[in-house]
Amino acid sequence: MPARMNPARPLLAMLAGGVLLLSSCAGAEPNELLVLEWAGYDEERWWPDFKTANPDTAVDFEFGTNDADILAKMGAGSEADVFHFYTGYEQLYVDEELVREIDTSKLTNWDAVPADMQALGQIDGKQYFIPWDWGFSSILYNTDEVPEVTSWDALLNEDYAGHIAMWDDGPAAVTVSAYINGWDETAITDEQLAQIEEDWIAQKPLNIHYWDSEYDNLCPEVISGDIWIAYAWPGCYATALFEGAPVAYANPVEGRNSWVGLYGISTDTDSYELALQFLDAKLAELTCGTLVTDYYYGCANEEVMAAVDDPVLIEAFALNDPSVLETTNFTPPVTAEDRDAWTAMWTRVKAE
Amino acid sequence: MLGRRGALRFLALPPYLWLAVFFVLPVLLIVAISFRPEAGPIDFGDPWTFSLAQYQRIWETPAYLRRLGMSVGMALAIAASATLLAYPIAYFLAFRARERAVFFLILLLIPFAVSYLLRVMAWRLMLGGEGAINSIFQWLGITSAPIDLLLYSPVAVVITLIYVWIPFAALPIYAALQRIERGHLEAAADLGAGPWSRFWRVTVPLSLPGAIAAFFMVFIPTVGEYVTPSLVGGTEGYMYGNIIQDFFTRAASWATGSALSVIMLLLTLVLVAVALRLIDVRRLAS
Repeated sequence: MPARMNPARPLLAMLAGGVLLLSSCAGAEPNELLVLEWAGYDEERWWPDFKTANPDTAVDFEFGTNDADILAKMGAGSEADVFHFYTGYEQLYVDEELVREIDTSKLTNWDAVPADMQALGQIDGKQYFIPWDWGFSSILYNTDEVPEVTSWDALLNEDYAGHIAMWDDGPAAVTVSAYINGWDETAITDEQLAQIEEDWIAQKPLNIHYWDSEYDNLCPEVISGDIWIAYAWPGCYATALFEGAPVAYANPVEGRNSWVGLYGISTDTDSYELALQFLDAKLAELTCGTLVTDYYYGCANEEVMAAVDDPVLIEAFALNDPSVLETTNFTPPVTAEDRDAWTAMWTRVKAE
Repeated sequence: MLGRRGALRFLALPPYLWLAVFFVLPVLLIVAISFRPEAGPIDFGDPWTFSLAQYQRIWETPAYLRRLGMSVGMALAIAASATLLAYPIAYFLAFRARERAVFFLILLLIPFAVSYLLRVMAWRLMLGGEGAINSIFQWLGITSAPIDLLLYSPVAVVITLIYVWIPFAALPIYAALQRIERGHLEAAADLGAGPWSRFWRVTVPLSLPGAIAAFFMVFIPTVGEYVTPSLVGGTEGYMYGNIIQDFFTRAASWATGSALSVIMLLLTLVLVAVALRLIDVRRLAS
């Protein structure tokens, strides 16, 4: 009589095989990357250098609708290896231990990033983020309908009722009010916030709508002439200029606002080296150049910016105005408490 | 061996499990999260503390509750209009289309082949200052300038959602009309009832359960609608669902968003329960 086989043996063999397989993989990074991005940046034209260098790497994207959303997704345990957000939220990622320090010695394009831009991604002397896209926020206006705009308060001017478009963003509303009233936006008091809320509730009927997507519900209507005055970024300004629309981008007496997009690497990533390669490729010539020519945003690679010779782009980036930075307000870090209070304030404004 | 009843229960297990995991559990989670105290992002590692802070916060902001009232009003108008407009379509399919009913039914369902977003975006083009409706009005001399009210307003939300829901609303009405015994209509005719009388006294009462189902199929999701208002509603077409969306995304406050969702869910359930109590669907169906 043949000996009965122990029924557990095949199972044990499979388990042992699995352990061997896992141990052979230990230490190796998966050849895949998940990027938490803004919609639109998933297209391959925004990461061609990485694609060329890593044709077999699977790059997947998940999307955030705004900075608060991206922070919330990272905080809620997003599996993204790399995430993209804008200045103001840096400290929150570090405080919540969501970001890993970047080894810039492994970035071949790091030297092309000017030192002051590099510093934007540093906290406590550590490089947690790399800067990538940058631009201004100011008032874009239709020169056929509106005389020269010299102040941010044009957004609250009743003469343009029904043709104003404010960005759908609480912190931006607080920033604009702080500029108009001469307040320090890093130290807004409860009374000031209450005043800001009242002002924006009064402004609400003047809007044709609040815009939330530059190329979806801002630019087309600036070009068609439905929107006369808008809180806007240079991308829309350049697009409208290329389309021949009669537009200008204001230099308000209070100063323009400036922002920089930053990439960070998640603390929990299993693909650190791949993430570094992705960020390095973001700063490469082709990728940065595409950002400038196709999206009309500035890029952190100063060699790419130095090569810009299109007059429309020079105008949009104010590259012909060396003094523009003297009157520019750089977006300061925002605390978690302020962010919560400002976004809640904006929700109340919209609900009124 | 499983008996017939046992087999049926076994077959019903997967859908029940699916509903339990992907519907009941998330709803319970939302209810639980609504009682957390955080004003901002939730740290699920923190000890669980019970708090009514979110509900207090909502209570102290009358604008949220006003938006809820406005959203309920808009949903009632949209549901009533979509049901009324869907009824003739369903009637045509059930009583007049005959052997072409399937063809017309497919025609009715064709819009579903197009993305919801695209259909709403198409309405943005239709309702815009240079859109088809304003152009026709001006060409006919009805207006001399574009009507601003058409786009980026609550009116735009109502028009777009009525369009979106009509095919959905037609289906339960069509099903109810199909179930009507033709003998009832013949009997009414034999007893001297004219076409209008047969319609009002036989067809309408017997199809009311379908019409009521259609109404609630439209009403319930419309109360919490947020995509269409964000695309065509402008600043005044902002609905209660948009507040919830904002708290989950922009404000990153899941606890407040959850409390707002629970309030909407409870209000909707109460309204449906009251309506069903008043209407007595079982009597209508019998």
